[in-house]
Amino acid sequence: MCTITKENVFDAISTVIDPEVGFNLVEMGLIYDALINEENCDVKVIMTLSTQGCPLHQMITQWVKEAVERIEDVGEVEVEVVWEPAWNISMADDNVKQALGGM
Amino acid sequence: MKQISSDFAPPLKLISPFFKYGVIFYLLSMLALLFFEPSFSYAQMSIAGWIHLFLLGFVMMVIFGAMAQLIPVVLEVGHAVVDVYYVIFPLLGIGAAVMVTGFWLMPALLPYGGMLVLVAMIIFASENIATLKKTKIRTLTIDTVAWSNGYLLLGILTGFAIALGLSGDLGINITLMLKAHVYAVIGGYVVLTIMGLSLILIPMFSLAHGFEETAINRAFKLVVTGVGAVFIGALISQEWLMYMGYAINMLGVLFYIWQIYIIARLTVRKEMDVWAKSMIFAFVSLILSIVLGLFYFMIGNENILHASAWFLLLGFISSMITGHLYKIVPFLVWFERFAPLVGKEKVPMLHEMYSKEGAAMMFNFTASGVVLGGFGLLFESDILFKAGGSFLFTGAIFLYMTMNKMLAYGK
Repeated sequence: MCTITKENVFDAISTVIDPEVGFNLVEMGLIYDALINEENCDVKVIMTLSTQGCPLHQMITQWVKEAVERIEDVGEVEVEVVWEPAWNISMADDNVKQALGGM
Repeated sequence: MKQISSDFAPPLKLISPFFKYGVIFYLLSMLALLFFEPSFSYAQMSIAGWIHLFLLGFVMMVIFGAMAQLIPVVLEVGHAVVDVYYVIFPLLGIGAAVMVTGFWLMPALLPYGGMLVLVAMIIFASENIATLKKTKIRTLTIDTVAWSNGYLLLGILTGFAIALGLSGDLGINITLMLKAHVYAVIGGYVVLTIMGLSLILIPMFSLAHGFEETAINRAFKLVVTGVGAVFIGALISQEWLMYMGYAINMLGVLFYIWQIYIIARLTVRKEMDVWAKSMIFAFVSLILSIVLGLFYFMIGNENILHASAWFLLLGFISSMITGHLYKIVPFLVWFERFAPLVGKEKVPMLHEMYSKEGAAMMFNFTASGVVLGGFGLLFESDILFKAGGSFLFTGAIFLYMTMNKMLAYGK
């Protein structure tokens, strides 16, 4: 039985910072979901990026993968990047919106 | 949910020389301005030399680097032969230098420089077309990339014919060919490409999302049609067709400005950094250039046309490029030196990698220089024009210095 929770996964990913805006991916609202296999602790992260043209997208997904792999007893980690639903500023935390001038 | 395509971006070490040497050509262009007078004719070899130094050495060099990075992103396929960019860079750099020497000192060199640039651009356009063939996506942006590459080839072929004409190897009507050449290169390639790139980059850096693209689609169609009309009109000497082309192009650019306004209203980031200031200055310059262009058609005074071209080249095109360099170059350096350290040690943010003061000086001197120089041309005032040139050169020194600091960051 796997003891890793979605919160553990999001906490791990919150160590990954977008170098352009300076906020972590979770507070940016870029992480849509984390699916955890209760049998073997495999984790699948569903995320997006703030723009389709992001030249960092391969690296960011790699950092997310590595961050989740640092969780104790985690199994295989997969990261899927999706464009729909498209990210927008309303998905970000209030501190991000405020800092970027979105509210 | 729609899945993302994989990353087809070329290696960053391949792209950075285009930006690094593009800035050196920009510095040389601004230095050269100090030796010009505000009254001139487009047919002067010295003016043609400066235009090629600026357009080939700076504008084309930076655009080619940006296209190497962005074409795979737009087309969602890898480059057909990405390594050709290692060949394009020296061919374009040396070709531009030889052409400028030809214009300024030794016309016999023009065909040689022209040949190097021709080869560089044929390789670039052929590679782009081969990459276009790989994609299954059919959008207007992709069609526009194809059209702009077609115009680039037409522009360089007419330019090469002019080079042969000037060196006495080919008997052609140079004035007629010059109009076709200028319009194919500046309108057909540079403006179309900047429109396409800015539609990707401006929303990316301003975090604007969910905007309508009807205006830009109209803008692309109108500019493609207008440039074609001017090009054919110039080749077959039909002025009415050329005027029609000018009008269509102006309408296209107005639709483009409208699209940027729509994006600006949805901008999430309100921070007034050097990029944001440069974008605002670029679009104000573009509007000023259009207004002056309209006055030229009504009054017919050459000074107004010179000022209009000045605000288009140095106000709009140049600011679009220099502003974006402060976003793109820190990214390139960060990617090479800091990306591997993520998760292992503290890494800098991109905005920490350049001197804010240096960038502000670059912007203030450059913007002042563009305004002073533009008015210098408009009123044929030597003092204003020289002051503008001095400010622009000072701004270029700050650009060069901040660029070097960015490139050396973390070494």
